[in-house]
Amino acid sequence: MTTQRHDFNAQPFLLEELPPVGRFSLRVRPGQREALAAALGLELPTAIGQRSSAGQTEVLCLGPDEWAILTAEAERDALVAAGAAAYAQIPHSLVEVSDREITLRLSGAQALTALTAVCPRDIDAIPVGRGARTLFDSATVLLWRDGPQDFRMDVWRSFLPHVRAILDKITVELKSGL
Amino acid sequence: MSRYRIPGMGRVDPAAPVSFTFDGRRYTGLRGDTVASALLANGVHLMGRSFKYHRPRGPVSAGSEEPNALIGTSRGPGRFEPNTRATVQELRQGLVTESQNKFPSLKFDIGAVNDRAYMLFSAGFYYKTFMWPRSFWDKVYEPFIRAAAGLGKSPTEVDPDEYASRYLHTDVLVIGGGASGIAAALVAARSGARVVLVDENAEMGGSLLSDPSVRIDGRGSWAWLAEQLSQLRAAGVRLMTRTTAIGYYHQNFVGLCERLTDHLDQPPHGAPRERMWRVRAEQVVLAQGALEKPLVFDGNDRPGVMLAGSAQTYLNRYGVKVGDCAAVVTSHDSAYYTAFDLVDAGGRVAVIADTRDQVRPDLVEAARRRGIQLLTGHTVTTTYGRLRIKGVRVNPVKGGQVGAGRKIACDTLLMSGGWTPSLHLFSHTKGSLTWDADSRTFLPNHKTEACQIAGAGRGLWGYGPVIEDGVKAGLAAAEALGRTGTAFGAGVEGDRPGTGVSQKELPTDLSAGKAKAFVDYQNDVTAKDIRLAVREGMRSIEHVKRYTTNGMATDQGKMSNINGLMIAADALGKQPPQVGLTTFRPPYTPTSFGAFAGYHKGATFELTRKTPIDPWAEAQGAVFEPVSLWRRAWYFPKGGEDMHAAVARECRATRASVGMFDASTLGKIEVAGPDAVEFMNRMYTNPWTKLAPGRCRYGLLLGEDGFIRDDGVIGRLSQDLFHVTTTTGGAARVLNMMEDYLQTEWPDLNVWLTSTTEQWSTVAVNGPNARKVLEPLVEGLDMSDANFPHMSVAECTVAGLPARLFRISFTGELGFEINVPARHGLALWKAIHEAGRAYDICPYGTESMHVLRAEKGYIIVGQDTDGTVTPQDAGLDWAIGKAKKDFVGKRSLQRPDIVAPNRKQLVGLLTEDGTRLEEGAQIVLDPNQKTPMTMAGHVTSSYDSVALGRPIAMAVITGGHNRMGETVHIPMPNGTIRAKVTSTNFYDPEGERLKA
Repeated sequence: MTTQRHDFNAQPFLLEELPPVGRFSLRVRPGQREALAAALGLELPTAIGQRSSAGQTEVLCLGPDEWAILTAEAERDALVAAGAAAYAQIPHSLVEVSDREITLRLSGAQALTALTAVCPRDIDAIPVGRGARTLFDSATVLLWRDGPQDFRMDVWRSFLPHVRAILDKITVELKSGL
Repeated sequence: MSRYRIPGMGRVDPAAPVSFTFDGRRYTGLRGDTVASALLANGVHLMGRSFKYHRPRGPVSAGSEEPNALIGTSRGPGRFEPNTRATVQELRQGLVTESQNKFPSLKFDIGAVNDRAYMLFSAGFYYKTFMWPRSFWDKVYEPFIRAAAGLGKSPTEVDPDEYASRYLHTDVLVIGGGASGIAAALVAARSGARVVLVDENAEMGGSLLSDPSVRIDGRGSWAWLAEQLSQLRAAGVRLMTRTTAIGYYHQNFVGLCERLTDHLDQPPHGAPRERMWRVRAEQVVLAQGALEKPLVFDGNDRPGVMLAGSAQTYLNRYGVKVGDCAAVVTSHDSAYYTAFDLVDAGGRVAVIADTRDQVRPDLVEAARRRGIQLLTGHTVTTTYGRLRIKGVRVNPVKGGQVGAGRKIACDTLLMSGGWTPSLHLFSHTKGSLTWDADSRTFLPNHKTEACQIAGAGRGLWGYGPVIEDGVKAGLAAAEALGRTGTAFGAGVEGDRPGTGVSQKELPTDLSAGKAKAFVDYQNDVTAKDIRLAVREGMRSIEHVKRYTTNGMATDQGKMSNINGLMIAADALGKQPPQVGLTTFRPPYTPTSFGAFAGYHKGATFELTRKTPIDPWAEAQGAVFEPVSLWRRAWYFPKGGEDMHAAVARECRATRASVGMFDASTLGKIEVAGPDAVEFMNRMYTNPWTKLAPGRCRYGLLLGEDGFIRDDGVIGRLSQDLFHVTTTTGGAARVLNMMEDYLQTEWPDLNVWLTSTTEQWSTVAVNGPNARKVLEPLVEGLDMSDANFPHMSVAECTVAGLPARLFRISFTGELGFEINVPARHGLALWKAIHEAGRAYDICPYGTESMHVLRAEKGYIIVGQDTDGTVTPQDAGLDWAIGKAKKDFVGKRSLQRPDIVAPNRKQLVGLLTEDGTRLEEGAQIVLDPNQKTPMTMAGHVTSSYDSVALGRPIAMAVITGGHNRMGETVHIPMPNGTIRAKVTSTNFYDPEGERLKA
């Protein structure tokens, strides 16, 4: 029997572009991870997808020797200085990529559904408080799950217009209730 | 109420009439109807003309396997679809439908002449007819075949609909919402697993919808069904109707196409038409049931001839009697229940002709009680009528002898040749099949994926057994997930068990050579075509299929494959498994391109990357060109200029004073670590050890084969830090190649790579006045030539922004490239543009960049190289660190064919008559040789040069470096052009301008 009823959702999710923060890509040999963490005053988690935070600084483990670090803009220079001071003893790479990416925040009732439209990963299986490097449509993104329906997505700058255009389509689709 | 609608029957809504048109005539159906059921309710069986013979055809089935009732549907402007299955398309208000493959009308079709000329169209027709003479192919045969190919009109308008996609991860995916699938889903869900149940129909229930008289657990089957569905919902199962599992791929990845709006009168704003689901399931339960087989006899395609089970569906699910007086021909018990339901609903069944001699006594008794004439041991030898069946000829068969026939009047003929388990999705997984000699059908055997198969899909019959089997499949899926399921039983009363025998074409006393006994309705393949193919030497079913086109239509032989195999096996005198079964391929049913495209149409067709400066260029009216995924400003036309004029102005302004260029798309890689210099030495051809911090060098990257892969200027910022630039298109490839070597060959090196392409926005300023423009903006750096010579790099402040400033040039002029954090890219651009006003600074695009670099002979990787060009070929020997022990590609550079003198080498070309050469044009050394001429090379770059006042070109020519001053020839359609071989460094060969 044909159902001719639809549930409309006026605001399936809220999309915000967050202000710039300090971003770094950190690489160091696993054997020197702990020493570098101490030198930088950060916890560098060992499981991929795991996060840590200290003050306004957040760390996401992306690989056995790779971390993404977000800091407040004001704390950027201190982190760079700490890295430079430790470099001779603990060789590593701390590259500033603050302008490489722009962060979108998706939150609200259907934020997770919106991501599943084009993200092949099992989004629901990412525990709250963890993250992942994954794909949004054909753009590589870092996905941070802050709540059951609260996500941040770091998108490379030039990919942002495409990502937003796809999200606009998904919004229209979800609003239709079908 | 329509003439053939039975009040009180079916699941349609009698209070909700739906109006639609077919071939311009208005009809009324009911909500819940398909186009086919609504037309049948109005007594219309004739719905189309067949593909090859243009024979009149009506629906033979009630489902997605339909080969005949293919119609054009229009859901409004731009929303025309050909080959819609009338048995699947649900009615919606105002739906416009039309028959296909007819002219001038469905009832009188000129193309039906093919039917009388059928001898011309036998198996292998194309191969036999279109071979000779050879000269006929291009002008006669191919146009004829193309005109005749395909069924239905292609849409001509842009599809205005939107399509969507979704990824879904689940524990259990159950495919098929019949009794078995429902049972499996319920057991799995109650074990705590996440379960998705999908069905291609508008509602769940499968054959239960066509069998309301069966009682399960003391309730009618429909009440039981409703109860199970509410239990499934309560258990959290996601129920998806109108959703076809189209393909089953590796690691339990299943594609589902969900139809969202085609059935809606008024789709909500913005609703996608279809959504493609990409499902990854831990366990898949295949509960797709079985498809009924037609019987093969002369005239088995006449409108009014249909599958018995489908007639039962039309009756019970849609409340439609398919005719006033039915005849039944069967080799399976299931058709008896159709006959009984028809009579019980007040219809008339003139005869049941059973090919079997013995029939279950309870069926015989039930037929007798209803007054149905039962003829066992009978065959059907032909049907009567033209646009609708009027009668059927039945003959007794005794000891293989066909007796005298007699005509029995009827307006529908319901046939059943038994049931074929739906193995399509299982076959997608490359699971192996086994031949079951008893039921004479293929059954699933060895599984390659984590799946369970339940119910009629593995040859079981009757609701009791298939529910029990569904429960088992649910338990097995739960167990595989490490969960514990609980079995449940269902007491079935009035079950409809059944068996049958499998038939080849039915025996006949008429000429088999004239019989039009169809095996494949959609492709018009008859039994005699298959026998002919065997006679002409086809032995494998794969060859028979291609020779006859049996099973090659869009229905993929859902009805024809097994019948075709039975006939071919009989003709070969072999058992069917020895002849084989053709391969099923996704998608299970025809699927729209839109569903595959999803969101990728229009502006989001393909990802387009834009630089921070892109909005400024757009506002200035720049013309863009795509460069890999980027769009880049190609040129900036002013006051109606064409490209030629704009590029000439941009080049002139840059060489005369100063030009500016958005170079943000250049790939950038930060190479950092104590072993950075060692890594650079190994990757690039150039020596890096002695490059001092603060200096730059042109870097050349080869593949292991010694051919040029990429290039770019590389700056050493400190002892352990390099700022590498790559070509725009090569950025990701180069980073991947570097990471590959680092991780697999040199894991001992303490060096790390980070993509910084998007961290920096880059503006190139070139021209004699470049320093004058920048100097007022730069702080913290003495930009004088003495302090900051060509090929320098420094960190400083430009326009108040933190910057990495390079003194490099891709134009041959004094040049700088300023990198600032990308968020400031536009601000930097505007500041330089403002500061440059005093010098008439000119923004230029990629075309002028190409011209300016060509005037200097600077190569573009991918334009002047094609993956077979070595550094020597390109005249870049100087970029090789000869003293270096090794670098990627070094050994290959010594191979004999790489050092051979006759390789194609990059040179300049100047035409004698001043014409501009065409890029890609072939070059010959002797224009008077015989054709085909020996080609000596080709033009790689060619431009009009303002600076030189003439066109210039670059080319690769055999032994080109030793041909300086020689004349070569470029044959073109309008005559041969003569050109002189020169150096590629056309402009300012001493490089004085760089040193300004």
